[in-house]
Amino acid sequence: MPEDFLHRVVHESLVDVLEKMFFISILDETSDSVPLPVRDEMAVRVAFEGEPSGSLIVRLNRFVARSIAGDFLGVEQEELSDSQVGEVMCELANMICGSVLSRVESAVTFRLNAPEIVDPDQTPADAAIFSVPLGPAAIKVAMITEAPICPPAAEFAS
Amino acid sequence: MAYRVLIVDDSPAMRAFVRRVICLSGVDVADFFEAGNGREALALLANQWVDVILTDINMPEMDGEQFLERLQSEELLRSIPTVVISTDATSHRVERLRQLGACGYIAKPFLPENLREVLERHLGVPYA
Repeated sequence: MPEDFLHRVVHESLVDVLEKMFFISILDETSDSVPLPVRDEMAVRVAFEGEPSGSLIVRLNRFVARSIAGDFLGVEQEELSDSQVGEVMCELANMICGSVLSRVESAVTFRLNAPEIVDPDQTPADAAIFSVPLGPAAIKVAMITEAPICPPAAEFAS
Repeated sequence: MAYRVLIVDDSPAMRAFVRRVICLSGVDVADFFEAGNGREALALLANQWVDVILTDINMPEMDGEQFLERLQSEELLRSIPTVVISTDATSHRVERLRQLGACGYIAKPFLPENLREVLERHLGVPYA
């Protein structure tokens, strides 16, 4: 139950953030494009404090990251610096994390730490990973919490 | 009338996005001012008058809650409409920020229309 709930919440949050802030529609279909290699991924981690505390890692192919950063800032891809792409990816991870945590609202106010770019290979093996197709790649979200995330009491009862 | 808008957020990408959305929404902006946290914003407000403040919550040095408290403690600054833009949409956070003096709250992610509606409400911006 908690994993199904978390999967739904992460998916809803991803779709919401990408559609509203990046103007990208997510289709529940596998792309026909040639998949981009996983080795070209970048990753951003957002640690959070609350009940439970933990961290969320967003992984995305660098080429796709540059593309959506351009859409977000309204700048041509070739004009973007690596630093700007990183800042947008940090903001993307921040919004996904906040959106997920707001949907599992507890009695305690959560606090997000500043997002940081990390090595994609550092994703813990025991993390719950959710993946959504995004063009020729996939956006992957890993959640690591000190305790399972459960549905709010009202939703659990219904 | 052209408005003077202050955007307070530690993310340069988010500041650029908010500025872009406001421009696209058709609000007549005379000047955009930017600050990376509450402390920088207060320093800027010591020399510049603005018509509206859009602020994040989680920021280094002085966060959004501390910034709102400081605005409320200054008679002149208290009258500036201050809208919070944040990822934290939990009801207790929203209620706390209203108690601290925020006149509006926009949860990220948001549609450009949401931002336009809030500016319209607090600035009386006429739209075609």
